Amino acid sequence: MIGLLPTASARFYLKHPWQLCLAVTGIALGVAVYVGVDLANDSARRAFELSENLVLGRTTHQLVGLDGSLPNAVYRELRIEHGPVVAAPIVEGQVRLSASPARRFTILGVDPLEELGFRGFSGFVPGRGVDLARLIVEPGSVLVPEALALDLGLANGSSLGLIAGGSVTSVQVVGTIREATLDPGGSSLPIVTDIATAQELLKTDAITRVDLVLSAEEVERLTALAIPGVRLLPAASRNATFSEISRAFRLNLTALSLLALLVGVFLIYATMSFAIVQRREIFGVLRALGVSRRQMLLSILLEAGVIGCAATVLGLVLGHGLAIGLIDLVLRTIGDLYFTATVIAAEPSALIYWKGLVIGVLTTLLAALAPALEAANTTPDAAMSRAALERTARKYSRSGAWLALPAVALGSLLFVAAPRSVLMGFAGLFCIIVSGALLIPLATTWLMRLAEPAAERAFGIPGSLAVRGVAASLSRTGVATAALSVAVATVIGVGLMIGSFRVSLSQWLDATLIADVYLSVSDSTTTPNAFDQTQLAAIEALPEVSGISLSRFTTLPTLYGELNVRAIRPGPRGWGLTLLGGSPPDSLRRLTAGEGVMVSEPYAYRRQLEIGDDLVLPTAEGDAAFLILGIFRDYITDSGAVLMPLNVYRRYWDDQSISGVGVYFQDSVDRAPSREAIRSLVTAEPSIRFRSNDMIRERSLEVFDRTFRITEVLRILAGIVAFLGLFSALLSIELERAREVAILRALGLTPRQLGTLALTQTGLLGLAAGLLAIPLGIVMAALLVFIINQRSFGWSMGLTLEPTSLLLGIALAFSAALLAGAYPAARAGRSSIVTQLREE
Amino acid sequence: MLWERAHIMEEVRTERKGGSPVPSRILTSNEVTARSFGSSSEFMQAKEPHVRLAKVSKAYDSHVVLADIDLDVSPGEFVVIVGRSGSGKSTLLNLIAGLDFASSGEIRLLGHSLTELTEEQRAKVRCHSLGFVFQFFNLIPTLTVAENIRLPMALNGIAKNEAKSRTNTLLHDLAMAECGQRFPEELSGGEQQRIAIARAMAHRPAVVLADEPTGNLDLETARDVLELLDQTCRAQGTTLIMATHSREVIGLADRVLTIRDSRLQEAER
Repeated sequence: MIGLLPTASARFYLKHPWQLCLAVTGIALGVAVYVGVDLANDSARRAFELSENLVLGRTTHQLVGLDGSLPNAVYRELRIEHGPVVAAPIVEGQVRLSASPARRFTILGVDPLEELGFRGFSGFVPGRGVDLARLIVEPGSVLVPEALALDLGLANGSSLGLIAGGSVTSVQVVGTIREATLDPGGSSLPIVTDIATAQELLKTDAITRVDLVLSAEEVERLTALAIPGVRLLPAASRNATFSEISRAFRLNLTALSLLALLVGVFLIYATMSFAIVQRREIFGVLRALGVSRRQMLLSILLEAGVIGCAATVLGLVLGHGLAIGLIDLVLRTIGDLYFTATVIAAEPSALIYWKGLVIGVLTTLLAALAPALEAANTTPDAAMSRAALERTARKYSRSGAWLALPAVALGSLLFVAAPRSVLMGFAGLFCIIVSGALLIPLATTWLMRLAEPAAERAFGIPGSLAVRGVAASLSRTGVATAALSVAVATVIGVGLMIGSFRVSLSQWLDATLIADVYLSVSDSTTTPNAFDQTQLAAIEALPEVSGISLSRFTTLPTLYGELNVRAIRPGPRGWGLTLLGGSPPDSLRRLTAGEGVMVSEPYAYRRQLEIGDDLVLPTAEGDAAFLILGIFRDYITDSGAVLMPLNVYRRYWDDQSISGVGVYFQDSVDRAPSREAIRSLVTAEPSIRFRSNDMIRERSLEVFDRTFRITEVLRILAGIVAFLGLFSALLSIELERAREVAILRALGLTPRQLGTLALTQTGLLGLAAGLLAIPLGIVMAALLVFIINQRSFGWSMGLTLEPTSLLLGIALAFSAALLAGAYPAARAGRSSIVTQLREE
Repeated sequence: MLWERAHIMEEVRTERKGGSPVPSRILTSNEVTARSFGSSSEFMQAKEPHVRLAKVSKAYDSHVVLADIDLDVSPGEFVVIVGRSGSGKSTLLNLIAGLDFASSGEIRLLGHSLTELTEEQRAKVRCHSLGFVFQFFNLIPTLTVAENIRLPMALNGIAKNEAKSRTNTLLHDLAMAECGQRFPEELSGGEQQRIAIARAMAHRPAVVLADEPTGNLDLETARDVLELLDQTCRAQGTTLIMATHSREVIGLADRVLTIRDSRLQEAER
């Protein structure tokens, strides 16, 4: 008898292949999106680790200079007077290929003998035919990435032209290096040479840093030395901010994938519960025949398990395919966000597939549990009664709506309880989404009540029947609408968040890019004096120029990671800052007077700094405290920045170089010819980059769009999941109505009227779901903007309600609904009434 | 347009304007159908039977269910078809209703050959001129009892007030006035079948087809249901064709036919 239960289930699906197909599709899609994103994410995480290994190896500490370089003497002194310590000097800079100036490479100058004790070229390995001895003894010899050698047809002994510091130098290739792991592009690998060649190429007699392997005792001894202008930092601290941010970025991606999974869970719940409630009569008969509750429950869960397993395996395959596309996108986004070239692709862990399998099957079982329990716990006669089922559904819709209140309360509590935790932020967001989903079935019934008179007027009795059908079949339509609304709300919410961010960025760019032309040095470490006073005076003397601003952008090594320093002498239009909190005019006045500094919003958020606090910075004279006068909005980087007057910077750091010049035109002049006049003045110096404010604006928005492409992709994926999920749920509902349709046909409803009935019903469901998704989507967007983004990146921004995103959500829901109604509508007039009546 | 139903219903309404709230004379479906087909229609002139089957056969693959069936059913006649389970009674009713297609032969309903009509036209014939009573009641579960009765009237464009009034009268006549707002599943089998009969008669069709209407009911309830169906049809002059096992009905019928070995013949009474 019990062995027959699975047979009965299997036969049901064999008889209803559509049902099986839709259930499998719903589950597979949910799993695919989650696994795909998780795989891409894991690959990114491992890439970070590999990149870190590539750079750091066994390094425990680094000796760095405040201005980004160390005199050779420091290293010599370290080896001779404070030895024996394990130390390796590094010279690092940027070069371009003379054959293809757009291609930039990091040049890494190492001491090959010391280097083997550190990294042993762990991140990259010497390629075929490499001659390390030649690298040591022959000046001007380099190891190039294998991909580059293949690309340019370089062999051992070939010459390679490199541009550094504005001039071209020819070096000799003595071997290749290749990635120890997967790196399809190969462009992230450096060109490796010895210290002397690197210094010669970069026209410097300094070294960039000294990597050290130190014991605790040695750390204490070296710290006590306090060499002026030199800092001893733990190796990990250099990447601390980067790691923290990349963690936030990955958490964001994971959360988005979980959001997609949540949408998937709703769809899985919708499909599984539908497959179960549809057979309540059969279950009622089985219960009447003596099948116990436990046996019934086990049988349903076994069925769900089998479907879950099969669908999850399919989902894993789809997810793998998806990940291939996503990995590249994730790595590119990280590259864009953090301006790093060292991120390389890595094989994701196989554990993720297992995790996906467990999540897929467990989710299916959980999704099936509620309807299975309900079917198993109902008395046999009630199980056979559709009216009883609908009564229960109506009761659940009311109690579900009440449950929404504690869900909102829990969500709010999570937001408040851990005000800085990204994880708790997402947990709170999920609670709010769930509460929204709980409200939707009841809200759908209300909407249908409102829509009935209009539907009847518009479509006559089919319209009224359609509306009635939605409200009266709440056991089916409630879950489908809730699932669809959540999916559409996700699409709307993420869309609004991206839109809001873009608007905020655009407004910020308008407020920040106040100069007409920006001149900058492409690599200030190699060309610190690209701007000379005569040139600046010539620019300032042009009749169309009203003034210039000067800036020095550099980084400072701190215990919290590298801090961007922006030292500015403002131009005629002021500082171009958007200040948050405090009294902006007063803060700016005090900043101009040199009374303190301003910090960027992400930095203040991360370090929990407020106006009036002191910020301790390493200066040439040792640590110095600076009063924080204000916090400025900064979308350039989320890794943190400090802004100060140029004269203050020069006073403390003794650095007279200029890395950027802003040129301001008179208000009345024609912009285009004035720009050309400036351009002609600086073309002689190849290391100076010329950009108009429009170009920077355009480029910034381009980078923004590229950065959020991954989010867009996830949004689209959630949309596709929603679309297919809705399609399957509504199609199931319509197919289930075959008997009702047959009765109506027997009573004389024409095929056209039946088609209208099917389309009206699904259309109304889609419209209801789309309308209900709007408030939920707006709430989601607000939480993403004001809580998640703030906590992840430290950025605040306004919420912009773009009508396009809202309309897109409704259009998505409505079109999926109409498409789902199209098949039953087309089928309505063609199938045999007699067969349908007999079958059912 | 073959069936100018709206126009006819307008006439129905116009006739009622001068009368009492409960119409003194509502056009019968025969009259409505006749007007629908046109006053000069061949159907009215020739007094053709409501249902005419000529050499009708039905086979599923090689299995012949009905063979060479000839049948004429006159307006207002009550014909009972008996036969063993699976003998083809339901198939015959389905063919007459245009729900299924004959393998050969011709079926004429109210003067028109069903094989010549499109699906849309057949649906309209069913909608205007046929009432159907099923063995398993087949009420729409998502509509209340009153809405189920109103459904065919709404499909026929009968004004809402008029439909409501007729529904209330029918419910009152069935002694089920208090059940209007209940859902079908809240009623007993006998009550559901009475509602199904009310639904079949509500729009005053020319022909009612009843397929084992008492097959699911106890003897006493079955007798009540049969009497109700018989009385209502006779009161409205409606043609009634019923497929049944029930011996009770034989005494009420004008003619009793039986299907044996796929052929239709007069039954002994």
